[in-house]
Amino acid sequence: MSRLPPVIMDNGTGYTKLGFAGNNIPSFVFPTVIATRDSAGTGTSGPAMPSKPSNLLASKRGIEDLDFFIGYEALANSKTYGLHYPIRHGQIDNWDQMERFWEQSIFKYLRCEPEDHYFLMTEPPLNAPENREQTAEIMFESFNIQGLYIAVQAVLALAASWTSNKVSGQVLTGTVIDSGDGVTHVIPVAEGYVVGSSIKHIPIAGRDITYFVQQLLRDRNETSIPPEDSLKVAERIKEQFSYVCPDIVKEFKKYDQEGDKYFEKYQGIHSVTGQPYEVDVGFERFLGPEIFFNPEIASSDFLTPLPEVVDNVIQSCPIDVRRGLYKNIVLSGGSTMFKDFGKRLQRDIKRTTDARVKRSETLSGGTLKSTPIEVNVISHKKQRYAVWFGGSMLGSTPDFYRYCHTKAEYEEHGPSICRHNYVFGSMS
Amino acid sequence: MSNTLRPYLAAVRSTLTAALCLENFSSQVVERHNKPEVEARSSSEVVMNPLIISRNENEKVMIEPSVNSIRISIRIKQADEIETILCKKFTRFMMLRAENFIILRRKPIDGYSISFLITNSHTEQMYKHKLVDFIIQFMEEVDKEISEMKLSLNARARIVAESYLSQFD
Amino acid sequence: MILLDYHNVVIEETLNQPIVNLEPTVLDMTVVDFDGVAYHLSTPESKSVIKFSLIMQCYKELVQWGAQDMLQREYGPYCVPKEDGYDVTLEFDLQKLPEDKSQREELVKKLALIKRNLMAQPFERAFEQQAQFEDEKQPNPTPDLMQIHYRDQEAIYIQAQLDRVTVIFTTLFKEETDRIFGRVFLQEFVDARRRPAIQNAPQVLYSSKEPPLEIRHLPELQNTSENEDIGYVTFVLFPRHFAKGDVREKTISQIQLFRDYLHYHIKCSKAYMHSRMRARVQEFLKVLNRAKPEVPNVEKKTITGKTVIRS
Repeated sequence: MSRLPPVIMDNGTGYTKLGFAGNNIPSFVFPTVIATRDSAGTGTSGPAMPSKPSNLLASKRGIEDLDFFIGYEALANSKTYGLHYPIRHGQIDNWDQMERFWEQSIFKYLRCEPEDHYFLMTEPPLNAPENREQTAEIMFESFNIQGLYIAVQAVLALAASWTSNKVSGQVLTGTVIDSGDGVTHVIPVAEGYVVGSSIKHIPIAGRDITYFVQQLLRDRNETSIPPEDSLKVAERIKEQFSYVCPDIVKEFKKYDQEGDKYFEKYQGIHSVTGQPYEVDVGFERFLGPEIFFNPEIASSDFLTPLPEVVDNVIQSCPIDVRRGLYKNIVLSGGSTMFKDFGKRLQRDIKRTTDARVKRSETLSGGTLKSTPIEVNVISHKKQRYAVWFGGSMLGSTPDFYRYCHTKAEYEEHGPSICRHNYVFGSMS
Repeated sequence: MSNTLRPYLAAVRSTLTAALCLENFSSQVVERHNKPEVEARSSSEVVMNPLIISRNENEKVMIEPSVNSIRISIRIKQADEIETILCKKFTRFMMLRAENFIILRRKPIDGYSISFLITNSHTEQMYKHKLVDFIIQFMEEVDKEISEMKLSLNARARIVAESYLSQFD
Repeated sequence: MILLDYHNVVIEETLNQPIVNLEPTVLDMTVVDFDGVAYHLSTPESKSVIKFSLIMQCYKELVQWGAQDMLQREYGPYCVPKEDGYDVTLEFDLQKLPEDKSQREELVKKLALIKRNLMAQPFERAFEQQAQFEDEKQPNPTPDLMQIHYRDQEAIYIQAQLDRVTVIFTTLFKEETDRIFGRVFLQEFVDARRRPAIQNAPQVLYSSKEPPLEIRHLPELQNTSENEDIGYVTFVLFPRHFAKGDVREKTISQIQLFRDYLHYHIKCSKAYMHSRMRARVQEFLKVLNRAKPEVPNVEKKTITGKTVIRS
């Protein structure tokens, strides 16, 4: 075993988190975007077959596939290169681009020799086994890594919650609410295995909140914001000032009565002229995250509030795991970082379950009394990168090497061994 | 050398067209089973003699017919080490995706680079002459692809060496 | 990206926040670099004191060739006794750093280059020794054959000679595919000199089983002539390649990363092969799909007016 730590790579639809096991935070977080020479939007088709460089000039014609950027550099170069997002809805869409993305992230950013390391990668739940095989093929054949383990993101988020002081044991049963930039998932996990048929996606996530905040600012005629920056300003306002309130009506009253305590000012610098400007921040502070709990204020496409979705998900699971799922609701992802998000969610879900328990008691005429359902929403300090952190924790256990698929096994049996990855940490 | 290519492919084409006369045939050994006889080899009377068409000792095609299935194994030209490696990588890549290829076999027969298995259900769903076209085109394209990959590898190596050494000036 | 960077991006970005912007943060990070080098950045006692430790597989050999002097020279004020399990430790007290922001940026950049600076020592020494050959006061010095075992089974050997400095890399390819790709690449390195554009480049020689003359006598290489995996690449550097100043620094940085550069490009070309194969497979599938007959969407009407759809 090499003494070099395993590499943890979490490729999400919005952002990629890279780092080494044993660390608390990922060493790199950048958007999952790649900028290549051809025009944007040519999408998923393979690269144009390069014509044979029969006249070999020193122009880099033979290796134009190495002419690309990833992450923030890609966004910086977006004028001259075409931007592509290789991951859609958590799944890898374009393998060529993903392979190149990995190439540069390993050699340029992480600066590690893949032959010396074990890798832990993540996948969304309900990922097809063929995708795991393809990932394994690329990792083992192109990069010659020593070993690979592909983990489900929800299970890692659960493992990350063990650091919170609210959790006593190390259980891999719980409901994971993973809210990122694009979409929010509610994923029930029982004993380390995802209950696939009960997974629900909510189309409300970070981006929607940002749009809503932007719209509110526009409606209030905040003219000091330069139009080209309005989305970025909305994002920063969302991240800096937003919180979740217990009741909208009461909150509006509070703002009306004690305006000075609640209204804030955002200081910004105009990107082109360099002039500083100020923006008033008011109701959007609590209205933004409120769309999780009252989606109708933002749009009429999706009307089910988050607590109701969570409750439906748990009710659709097998009955013997439901108590465990209520007891351990784990938050992960950047859009769950709002202040008091956990408290509000716990209160709303508890109300629903208590009402249900009471109803069943009255229906039975008072004869059947059941123990009240314990609802716990766990939030912890590592929420933003919970999936990455769970991977880092698991990667630093000595058992990790036993569960990985090694290169020798790959050579012997082929990529089909990677279709199944053992869940560890739940027993023994 | 290339003047043997056309007759070679023509011979393979006519043999395939003749051999692709497949009909449904249930297993004679196990009740209510229907397996490709060329793989199961349960009864000797339904499996016919294999035929090998060689262009030279490095390139040949073996066709094993039977009553309801036919197995085609191709040995691709591998002149030097680089071509051997590229051929191995390419065939492994395709065999990983054998499900999409429908008629591809996941493991080649010993001594050959790649194998196809065509059963009567395939010939019922797809045109026979197009299947034969596909196999012939495959044989041509694979050779072309491997030599193109070799050329591009050499070109890349040249550019890589140039970029590195030009830094020393 | 064709050429690898010399500096370590993680260190630069992580230390930018505390050192340049003077914002203390809690740190406990293990980071690696090429060739078995691991760094540990931590703030054990307080947020404003950053401990930076480094462990390198070949550190002892580098000490022999003057690594300690380099550390004193470049990072002198920050050296402290080394942490357990590491080879070098530097400590930065955020309150005692230089006032000027650009000086702090320089410091961070230098830290990101620490591995490169350490590895540069034997090269510098070889260049000095080669210069001695031309110094008439001390004719015929005996130059050292410096060995650096920077990886488990691979090493660099440097020796100064009369009018040149020879650097020999032993590289090990674990996979047969890598071996063959590597041979193609190295062959091109050898042949590159023929092209007029880069006639000034150092001469490259490559042999796959036999170690080159200069190191043939070494005991560790006696029994390896049977081992096919090991290859020997020799770089011959002439004095114009290490003329004092920028040229020398650039040469040293370049040559250190040779093995990583080679392996990086082998992997990139494998990835490129993959994308070609993917495109080819798509083409094949298209041809195969032509073999399937089109589904006739026949919609027929019966005499009484009912519509029958045959799928």
